[in-house]
Amino acid sequence: MTRLLGRHGWVMGLTALLVLAFVFTKVIQPGFGASGLDSLARATMPFAFATAAMAVVVIAGGIDLSVASMMAVAGVTAAVLMDGAGTGFSVLALLLVLGVGLLMGAINGALIVFTRVPDIVVTLAMLFVWEGVALLILNAPGGAIAPWLRELGRGPFLVEWLPRSFVLMVVCIAIVWMPLRRSRLGLSIYAIGSDELAAYRSGVSIGRTRIAAYAICGLFCAMGGVSISMATGIGEPIPGPYLMASVAAAVLGGVMLGGGRGALLGPIIAVIILRLVRMDMTLMSVDPNIATIVEGLIMVAVVMLGGLLAMRAAR
Amino acid sequence: MRRLLATTTALVLTAGFGGMAAAQDGYTIGISNTVQGNGWREEMVCAMKAQALVSGQVDSLNIAHRNTDAAGQLEDIRNLVEAGVDAIVLNPANSEALNSAIEDAIAAGIVVVAVDQAVGAEGAYILSNNQEQYAYLGAKWLFEELGGSGDVVYMRGAAGAGADDDRNTGFQRALSEFPDINIVQETFTGWQQDQGKQQILDYLATGLPVDGVWTSGIDNVIVDAFIESDVPLVPIVGADNAGFVGQLASIDGFTGAAVTNPGSIGGAGMTLALQVLSGDAPEDKLVLVDPSLWANNDPEGMAQIEAAQNPDLDPEWPVSVMIPGWTDYTMEDIIACKGPGE
Repeated sequence: MTRLLGRHGWVMGLTALLVLAFVFTKVIQPGFGASGLDSLARATMPFAFATAAMAVVVIAGGIDLSVASMMAVAGVTAAVLMDGAGTGFSVLALLLVLGVGLLMGAINGALIVFTRVPDIVVTLAMLFVWEGVALLILNAPGGAIAPWLRELGRGPFLVEWLPRSFVLMVVCIAIVWMPLRRSRLGLSIYAIGSDELAAYRSGVSIGRTRIAAYAICGLFCAMGGVSISMATGIGEPIPGPYLMASVAAAVLGGVMLGGGRGALLGPIIAVIILRLVRMDMTLMSVDPNIATIVEGLIMVAVVMLGGLLAMRAAR
Repeated sequence: MRRLLATTTALVLTAGFGGMAAAQDGYTIGISNTVQGNGWREEMVCAMKAQALVSGQVDSLNIAHRNTDAAGQLEDIRNLVEAGVDAIVLNPANSEALNSAIEDAIAAGIVVVAVDQAVGAEGAYILSNNQEQYAYLGAKWLFEELGGSGDVVYMRGAAGAGADDDRNTGFQRALSEFPDINIVQETFTGWQQDQGKQQILDYLATGLPVDGVWTSGIDNVIVDAFIESDVPLVPIVGADNAGFVGQLASIDGFTGAAVTNPGSIGGAGMTLALQVLSGDAPEDKLVLVDPSLWANNDPEGMAQIEAAQNPDLDPEWPVSVMIPGWTDYTMEDIIACKGPGE
């Protein structure tokens, strides 16, 4: 039990916090039910993918400041390719967009590995590059997403209170993450994040692993971009507020910024908590300027408390 | 662990108390806006608040006002639906992207009014400034002022924004009527004062010719840049922002024109929402507010400019703070920017 708590303490704490937040929501809004869960799941989707993308590179000891811009590229590419296309071609287009995501991420990673310029600088530069690329593809909001894809994220799944968008998000992330985590590449990603030199001495190819981590980040960004377009039905070339939100959720979710520690479950729960906090702020009609402050304070408080608990446990 | 839970509960609960509303009998209106810290949008939100207050029909406002994208606005609209508001007045981030949430809201019996830009969702009321006409009017005036030929700097809004796209359509329409006008530089100010000013300073520093400047509302800093760079002022088109209108009235030898684009359209949207809620819905779901142009070399325009001078207004705020027939608040009300219960 203690071992379980020690290993999964952070995730369990977050889960408890999430349950509390749900209870609190139900108290302030007794009518909160299936439709509320559906709104929450739909709002969570792009943030969850952005956070997963960020978490993977942070675990590998890096950071990617271009996640929101890559999402914009993926979103507009999907909207342009699928505009007026049939179902068959739109499936192909979707695969192509995921490929574009992998490629964008791999380019980021390769630039970092081969130029030896710090990741924060490279990805900051790529933030502007991908932003420009998105605008080149579509200079104003437009295009259209295939109707079947839009329907995919709508309504409940099997039971009324289980939103289809939530299931979709979990499945998409799990398909990539579950096999990866147990694979040689997954272990290498943790290894280079935790101690690069030790990883190198153990025979891990640092450069190749890093490029792979960034490519996976790009893949998640592509999923995130498509999920935004699924929600809006069009492509938007201006990146949304996903960069800072993804860093925040990753950290809140127990991913250490130095690398080597954390997983995706914690960050995903953290994303849901943060969206739920936003929803509660709206439900209580808190002054919007104060709402932002409260969101930030909750984040600092939780991470600080977690740090304190970890320190006590270590003692 | 227990302490973590106890403390977070306390934290969340304390955060919550401020918002616990008392018993209600008037309307609750939701507001959704996706640009924060921009003078025009702030005036729009203040106009909504002031109109809600003076109407006496609104108990509380539920304001979702932050910097976000269309997906974020979808979230905000759905949250407002969850909160059970009677009506939602919004400035849409995009005309097509929000339809699914707006349709959900209408299906839940909520009145939806889009201000400033149109939305495609059926059943929503639209009260909009005509953005295409806005750009066309100003550009046409500028090109005529230059005698139909000359070098013009074209300073747009935010790349990829719907309103910028509409304005570009109007600008290009005017441009096609004046084939001898040459666009020497096209920039995106992002509707940010500092960015626009730096762009024009950079251009002026090159010493390249400029006979006129069209701006998408980042205007007073452009005039400042000419003065600071010691370059003779050329005709400049801007919006009816307080700072720019002040310059049109006070700077000797400066010719320019302000095109109205009232942020107070937010107050008008509030009025429309309340009318629909009280069963007094207009026949047409689309109401377009056409802009007018005030040039300082035209006596009629100058009279408008002089009448609009108000030192109390923030320089970034549009001076047309009221829309006759649509808003009932006073200048003091909108500057105070207080809604019901504040």
